[in-house]
Formats: sequence, structure tokens, C-alpha cells
Amino acid sequence: MRRRVLCVVVAGLVCMGVFSATAFAAVNWKQSQGTEIRFLMNKHPFTTYIEPKVSEFEKMTGIKVTLEAFPEDQFRNKRLIELNAGGKMDGYMIMPGQDELHYWKAGWLQPMDAYIADPALTEADWDIKDFFPSFIKASSVEGKQIGIVINAETSLLSYRKDLFTKLKVKVPQTMKELEETAKFFHGKEIDGKKMVGITLRGKKAAATSQWVGFLYSFGGSWTNAQGNSNFGSPQSIAAFKFYGDLLRNYGPEGGTMLHWAESTSLFMEGKAAMIYDANVFKALYENPKESKVAGKVGYATIPAGPAGKVPHVSNWSLSINRNSTPERQKAAWLFIQWATNKSNCLGALLAGVPAGRASAWNSKEFKSKDAHQDWTANTMKSFEIGQPQWNPPVINVPEIRDITGQVIVDAIEGKDVAASAKKAAELMDKKMER
Amino acid sequence: MKTTSRTLSRFIDRHQALVFPAPAVFALSLIVIIPIAYNLYLAFTKWTIGLGQPRFIGLGNFIELLSDERVWNGVKVMVYFSGLSLSLEMALGLSIALYFHRNFRGNEIVQAIYILPFAATPVAVALIWRIMLNPEIGVMNYLLQSVGLPGSLWVSNAQTVIPALVMVDVWKWTPMITLIVLAGLKSLPRVPYEAAQIDGANALQVFWYITLPMIRPVLIAALMLRSLDNLKEFDMIYTITQGGPGISSETLYLYSYNVGFSFFKAGYGSALMVVVFLIVLVFNVVMNRMRLSARDL
Repeated sequence: MRRRVLCVVVAGLVCMGVFSATAFAAVNWKQSQGTEIRFLMNKHPFTTYIEPKVSEFEKMTGIKVTLEAFPEDQFRNKRLIELNAGGKMDGYMIMPGQDELHYWKAGWLQPMDAYIADPALTEADWDIKDFFPSFIKASSVEGKQIGIVINAETSLLSYRKDLFTKLKVKVPQTMKELEETAKFFHGKEIDGKKMVGITLRGKKAAATSQWVGFLYSFGGSWTNAQGNSNFGSPQSIAAFKFYGDLLRNYGPEGGTMLHWAESTSLFMEGKAAMIYDANVFKALYENPKESKVAGKVGYATIPAGPAGKVPHVSNWSLSINRNSTPERQKAAWLFIQWATNKSNCLGALLAGVPAGRASAWNSKEFKSKDAHQDWTANTMKSFEIGQPQWNPPVINVPEIRDITGQVIVDAIEGKDVAASAKKAAELMDKKMER
Repeated sequence: MKTTSRTLSRFIDRHQALVFPAPAVFALSLIVIIPIAYNLYLAFTKWTIGLGQPRFIGLGNFIELLSDERVWNGVKVMVYFSGLSLSLEMALGLSIALYFHRNFRGNEIVQAIYILPFAATPVAVALIWRIMLNPEIGVMNYLLQSVGLPGSLWVSNAQTVIPALVMVDVWKWTPMITLIVLAGLKSLPRVPYEAAQIDGANALQVFWYITLPMIRPVLIAALMLRSLDNLKEFDMIYTITQGGPGISSETLYLYSYNVGFSFFKAGYGSALMVVVFLIVLVFNVVMNRMRLSARDL
């Protein structure tokens, strides 16, 4: 009897041991011990956050990690030149919406699906479902996951809450209301300053990343079902025209030269009632040392056009170089997995880097520190409904953005938008590389 | 050992013309000739940096650029910008040099202050001009409005962008022309002036019949030096407008840069650079002819 009990107990313990082994310790973090990997990084707040923590990862895994960070322009050039020359780089930061098609076609992006599916390589707790679906989609090409989001962005309509309350103006919910509100404020003298209704980017290629939300909300798109340019469609033309008219009629003078720096500084000077630009510029608006409107700003999603509210989402991701060796690629995946785990995403968010994980935004730690809940709520809303295709779906993104930007400039200058859009569509069809 | 060194020195003696310039030729070919030759080769290829290897397409790029609107726009902008700025710089540079050529109290201090813009770093001053020319927050409109004039859109408007850029260029480079012309004026012989004085020529006649013909080779040399830089003006325009609004200030040189380094189309960009190179070359050959014929007068 005793023996039988003992047998059952032993058998039970063995079973538990086996189960617990598969459930809790599936990933052997020491499996790539001794491997050395090198990542090329943009000097970005995320890099600043993760760099001092790398030693924790090295201690845990025995992998030696070198992070090389450069200012953005240099970083982009260095990355291109090194990948082209087949340099010894195992992973790098990438803005998928900007470069993924180019890098994918060039054979520089390693699909991560096999790593993610392998329980010996990926912890169950890492949980890909915790990321906003729009960013998972944004970092994939031809159905393959080629990056994991580390910085999530969208654009918001930011407005002067104080003036809206004082003058009893409603926050615009539709494009029509946006125009009316801009008109209402434009030219008004407030605190001795002549206001403009709204400020937007108008500088050629730089404007396209903000204009694209209007394109989608008006029902337009970069390309049609046949893969040709869709700029000639009535919806796309309406988006160009609305954006150009809005900036010309109710925006600052010289709209065609406004990049984000000019546009945000006007808003921070208190000279504009509204601005539509990247949500991360909250950090600028709310900095009392540099902004005269700190504490007076409200945030909303893009107003709805004929096709509803369709903001864009963009992101920075970490990717693995396809030309690296399998052993180092595996180590690079362990590093990316660690860098994007729940605790690091939350830590980065608390340090001011918008995370791509829902759990970070919903955590108690973040919520208790959140001073701008309308910003958070509208950012998360935009993440859920956002369109990741903020750039044309081509390899030669900068060239097509440049062509698009010319139509925006023509629209701001009040030229014949339909003619300009049709001309751009023809040029785009000729120049698109895929 | 001794014989080797003797053979070597004999070799050097016999081939001085080849041996002595060799290091310079080597360095020059490394930094000038090879890049130009490579650029010329790329001009006949189709190549996007990062996508495959350069593919030879013969005259394809040059045929494409003939029907490229932005090429013609670039040439137009280049002619407008260079024509206006060079003529203003020459006229102003010469007048100011004539003014400085007379002796007056504090002449040297005024001259020293006057050449400051020329000595400043181009990108740094361009960044400051960019802020000064901003129609909303810039100081230029503040100054205009404080004396009751309407503000201007400066570089934010397609019609005013080139004159505004010319203004910055003239501010920066006229001192260089002045310096060169002033040096020329100081080296002129006194005798013709004394003769003219005896003959009773007035100041205008002296300038027209004596100073101008004698200073002509110097003027042409100054124009050549300035035009070399001016025709490929890049840093100032790029810093202030990046070719905008739209393409209103995109010179051919800026367009080539965009094609090569923003669009990464190295082949087509190189072809555009070849065209810029030819324009500058032809302009300078013509100028050089003029200079030589002026010297023969």
C-alpha cells in the first residue's frame, strides 16, 4: 500500500516536473552563450532607454551585444552602405513604412515567424497578441514578420483647450467642422496676437506623412486595385484640395515651406488655434520652458471625412539582417525578444517612448503617472483604427513622396488640383518601382 | 647596395619630368580623376543604390533627362539665380572697390568689417538667414513692418524666393569681388592717370577710358572665380529652402543631389552631374577666352 502511494506520488511529481518544465522554462536563455552580435541604432529615445540595460541581457544570456548609435541622417546612410557592402551587422532599427519594401527586395530582412512560433526560442509570456495589430501589420511584408515595434506613432489634432472653452467652441469631429473651426479662429486677435486657424505641414515631401490621414479619411489611397496610382480618383483629389485650401485659407502665410519644426513652433508660440501633426510632439507643446501653450492643449483624433476617421500609424522596429549567420540571427532574436518584452516596453513608455504593447498603456504604473489622459485615450484609439501604409507601397518611397508633395504644394498655392493630381498620377505610374 | 642607390639616382636624374610630379599625380588621380571617371561611368548606367549592380544602358539617362521637366526647371532656376546674383555682385563689388580705393579715415576698419560675411561659414549663416526670412517669426518682416512697409513672404513664395536667395548670396559674396578688384586697382600704374589729369579728363572719363579697360582682366578673373562657386551653389540654397517652395528654387545642381542622395538613383544623378559639369566647363572656357583677349589689349 505504502509502496503504491509512493509510486503514485513519484509518478505525479515526475509528471508535474515535466509539465512545469514545458510551461515555465521553455526558453533556455543561455543557448547562445558566447555569441557576439552587433546592432546599428538610430540615436532615438528608445536607444537611450535600452542602452544602459543591455548589461542585464548580457548577464542573463552570455551573449555579447554591441549597440552602435548614430544621429538619424547618418544612421540611415550608414545602414544602407553597410548592408549594401555586406558588413557584419546582425540587427538594426528600421522604419518599416519607409524602408521595408526596399530592404526586403534587397534581401536584408530576416523573417521572424519561425522564431516566434518556436517555444524553445520565444517565451509564451512575450505574447505577440499584446501588440496593437496595426503595428504587427506595419512591420510585416508579404505576410512575413520582419520587425518588432519599439516606438509607436500616430498623428493627432491638437488644439488650444483654453480658447475652445473660453469661446465655447466644440472640438471638430468631422472635416467640415474642422474647416469651420479653423475659419472661426483665423484672424482673431487673442492676447494681442493675430491667430491663424490651423497649422499643418506644407513642405513638399515632408507634408505627405501628415496629409496621408486626410487622403484615407476622404476615401482616397496611394494605389488602386490594379496597383496603379490612385491620385486621379475624385476622393484623392478631394483630399489634396481640402488640405491645400485649409492651409492656404486658414493657416499661416508661406504654408508651402512649413516643416514640422516651423509648424510646431507657431503652435507653441500661441499663434495657432490648432495643429495636426505627430502625437509625440506633445513633449514639445507641454514643455513650459519652450512652449507658451503648455498645459493649455487638448488632443483629439483626426476628424472624420467621407470615409470616416482614418489616421496613419508609423513605427520604428528592430529587425534582423538576413545576411548574418544563423547562430548570430538566433542570438539577435533573443535580444529583440528581450528588448520588446512586457517589462521593457512598459519601462520605455514610462521613459516617454510610446510603446506598441497594449499592456504597457493599460498598466497601473503608467495610468497613475499619466498627466494627459485625453492624449493617451486618443493615441490608443488611433493605434486601433490606424492605417500602417503611411507611405506609398513602393521601393522608391522618397521619389514617390516627392511627386506627391508637389501636388500638395500646388493645392496650397491654389492651382488646379485635379490637373496637378492627374499629372502626378501619370508620373507616379512611370516611376513606381516594386 | 651602393650600386642600387646609384642606379636609382641615375634613373631619377634621367626621368626627372616623370618622377618628381609622380606623388602629386598619384594623389590627384586618387581624389579627383578616379571619382570623375567613376561618375562618368555611372552616368551611362541604371543603378539604385542598394538594389543590384549598375547596369549599362548607354545614353538612356541622357535621353530621359531631355524630357524631364525638372531638368529644364533646374536650368531655368540656375540661369535666373546665377545671372541675377553674379551681375549684382560684379556691379556692387566694383563700385565698393572704387570707393575703398580712395583714402579716407578709418578705411581699413570699414574694410575689415565689410569682409566679415565673406569670412563666415556658409551653412551657419544660411541657417540664421533661414530664421530671419521666416515670414511669421523672422526679423526681416519685423524690420519692414516697423518702418511701415508691408511684410514679404521672402523664401516662402514661388515668386520671391529667388530674389531673396540672391539677396543672401550678394550679401555674402560681394566682399570677395571687392577684395579681388581692390587688389587689381592698387596694382594699376599711376602714369596714365597723371596724363589724363593733364589732358583735363573728368572722373567718369577716367573710369571709362582708363580704369575699366585696365581692370578688365581682373574683373573677368573675379567673375570666373565667383561663377565657379555660384553655378554650383548648393549649401546656401539647400540650407534655406531645400529647393522649395515646390521646385521654385531647385537648381540643376540641387536636383542632381536629390536624385542621387534622396532617391538613391546613382546612375541618373551622375548623368545630371555630367550636364552640370559641362555647363560650368563651357562657361569657364568662354570666360577664359575673354580674359586672354582682354590681356592682349
